Amino acid sequence: MGSTLVSAIGFGVVLASIIAIAAMGFTIQFGLTNVLNLSFGAVMTFAAFAAYLANRHGVGGWSGLGVGGAAGAALTLALGRGVFRPYARRGAHLFEMMMVTLGLSLIVNYAIQALSHNNIYQFVVLPSTPLHLGSILITHTQLIIVFIAIGVLIALISLLQLTKVGKALRAMAADPDLARACGIRTGRIVVLTWLLSGFLCGLAGVVYIINAQSVGYTTGQLFLPLVVAAAILGGAGSPLGAVAASLMMGIVTEIVAAFGSEAYSTVAGFGILVVVLLSRPGAVRGGETGHTQLTL
Amino acid sequence: MTAWSYYIATLTVYFGVNVLSALSLNLQFGFAGVVNFGYILFQAVGAYIAAVVVLGPSSAFQQYVFGARLPFGVALLLATLAGAVLSLLIGLFSLRNIRRDYQAAILLIISLMATQVVQGYVPLFNGSNGVTGVPRPLSSVPLSLQGYQWAYAGWVLLVAALAYALVTWLSRSPWGRALRALRDQEDAAAAIGLNVTALRLQVFVIGGALAGLSGGLLVEYIGAWSPDAWGYAETFVIFTALFVGGIGNYRGAVLGVLLVPIIFLELPRFLPQVGYPGLMDSMEWIAIGAIWMLCLYIRPQGIVPERRNRAARTAAADARPARESVEVA
Repeated sequence: MGSTLVSAIGFGVVLASIIAIAAMGFTIQFGLTNVLNLSFGAVMTFAAFAAYLANRHGVGGWSGLGVGGAAGAALTLALGRGVFRPYARRGAHLFEMMMVTLGLSLIVNYAIQALSHNNIYQFVVLPSTPLHLGSILITHTQLIIVFIAIGVLIALISLLQLTKVGKALRAMAADPDLARACGIRTGRIVVLTWLLSGFLCGLAGVVYIINAQSVGYTTGQLFLPLVVAAAILGGAGSPLGAVAASLMMGIVTEIVAAFGSEAYSTVAGFGILVVVLLSRPGAVRGGETGHTQLTL
Repeated sequence: MTAWSYYIATLTVYFGVNVLSALSLNLQFGFAGVVNFGYILFQAVGAYIAAVVVLGPSSAFQQYVFGARLPFGVALLLATLAGAVLSLLIGLFSLRNIRRDYQAAILLIISLMATQVVQGYVPLFNGSNGVTGVPRPLSSVPLSLQGYQWAYAGWVLLVAALAYALVTWLSRSPWGRALRALRDQEDAAAAIGLNVTALRLQVFVIGGALAGLSGGLLVEYIGAWSPDAWGYAETFVIFTALFVGGIGNYRGAVLGVLLVPIIFLELPRFLPQVGYPGLMDSMEWIAIGAIWMLCLYIRPQGIVPERRNRAARTAAADARPARESVEVA
C-alpha cells in the first residue's frame, strides 16, 4: 500500500514533467498573445514525428530532442505569422482565433495521419534500465526526463526574470500598448514567444514519445487536455504555476491509476478541471489578469 | 437499381440526423452564442442509451449498463432525456460566466476525455468494441427491406421537420429574443433583468435533448455504436456545415448539412480509391479543416446570413459597429 503510493507518486512526477514542459510552452504564449492555441497538440505530434524520422536517418538518441524542438519552433512561428496574424488583421477576436487554431489542428492532425499511413511506430531511444530509488522503480530515461523539465523551468524563469528580453516579455503580457509606448520592439517579442512556445511544444512531444516508446498521429491530441488544463489551472503566463498544476495533475492521475483503473485516472484529470472552474473562476474570466485582446 | 435506392435512403437518414444536429447547434451557437464543442458527446449518450435499453440484459458477449428490452419509442424518449440530463450536468459547471474561448475549449476537453473513459471502462458501454446488434424498430412489420429503408428515412425526416418547427418557434418567441440579446450584448441583457446563466443552461439542455434524440435515431438505424462513431472531430463537421450555410439561420443550417456532410463527405465514395485505404478519410478531414478556416477568413456569416429585423438594421446603419481594436504589432 505504502510502496504503491510512493511509486505512483514517482510515476506522477514523470508524467508531470512531460505535462509541465508542454504547459510552460503553452502558458507563456497564451499569457502574451492571448491565443488559446488548440493546435498545440498537433504541433507536438508534428515535432514527435520529426524526431522519429531523424532517428530513423541516424540522428541518434537524445539529439532528437533538438530536432523536435526546432521542428516545433519552426512550425509554430510559421503558423503564428502566416495564419494567426492575418486572421487577427481581419478582425478575429479571442474566440474566433481559438476557432482558427482548432481548424488548423484538424488540418495538421489529419495531414500527419495521411502521411503516417495511420500507423503507430515504435520509438526506442535508449534501452530503459530500471533504477531503484527507495521503493520507486524508475528508468534512467524517466529520470532524465524529470531533469529536462527542471532544466526548462530554471532556464525559463531565468530568461523571464534576469534578462532584458524577459522583462520585455513580461511587460507585454501585462499591457501590450504600454509596452509598445515604452519603446519595446513588440513585433520581435511576439516572434520570440512563438519560437519559445514552439520549441517547448516540440521538446514535450519528443519527451512524450521517448517515454511512451511509440508515436502515432493522435499522440499530441490526446495529451492536449492535460496541457490546457494545467495552463488554465496554473494561470495564463505563469511557468511556475504551470509546473505546480502539472505536478498536481500528474500525481493525482497516477495515484488514481494505481489504486483504481486507467479509466478513473482520466476522470480524475477531468475532476481537477472541474475544481479549477469552480474554485478559480476569476482566473478564467480574463478580466483579472488584465488585457483580453489579441497581441500578434 | 436497388443498391441505389438503398443508398439514397441511407443518405436521407444521415441527412435527417445531421439536420437535427445542425438545428441543435444553431440554437445553441447561432442564437445564444453557446459554443458546444462537445456536441458529439450528447449525441453519443443518446445513441448508447437508445441501444442498451433495447438490447436486453448485459451479457458475456457485450457488457453495458441499463440493459433492458423496451420498445423503440420509449428508447428514443430515454435517449432524448439522457442528452438533456447530461447537458444539465455538464452545463451546470461549464456554462458559468467565463470567457467564450475557455468555455469552448473546456467542452472540447470534456468530449475528448469522455471518449477515453468509455474506451477505458468496459462495463459502461462495452469499451472500444462498442455495442452491436441493436434490433431495428418494428422489424416485424411486413415490409420489404427496400420499403423498410424508406419508411425509416421518412420517419427520420418527419422528426427532423418537427424539430425544425420547434426550434423556429422557440427562436421567434420572446425566449428566442432573449437568447439573441444574450448573444449580442450580454451585459445589456443582464442589465435589463435577464438571467443569462439560466438562459444559457436552458438552451444547452434543449440542444442536448435534440442531440440525444439524433443519436437514438441514428443507432436504431445503423444498429451499432462505438467510440469510433463519435470522435471529437465529428462535432466540427456540423460546425462547418453551420459556417457554410450561415449561422443563426435555420434554412442556412439545413443547406449547410446538405452541402458539407452529405455531398462533401459522401461524394468521395464515387471517386476512384487513391492511395492506401484510409487516405481518403484523412483527406476528407483535412478538407473539412480547410473549409472551416476558409469560412472564418472570407465569409464568417455564411451563405445565408441571419435575417435581422428592421429595428436592428436601422440601428446598425445609424451606428457603424465599432469593433474593438486588435493590436497588430
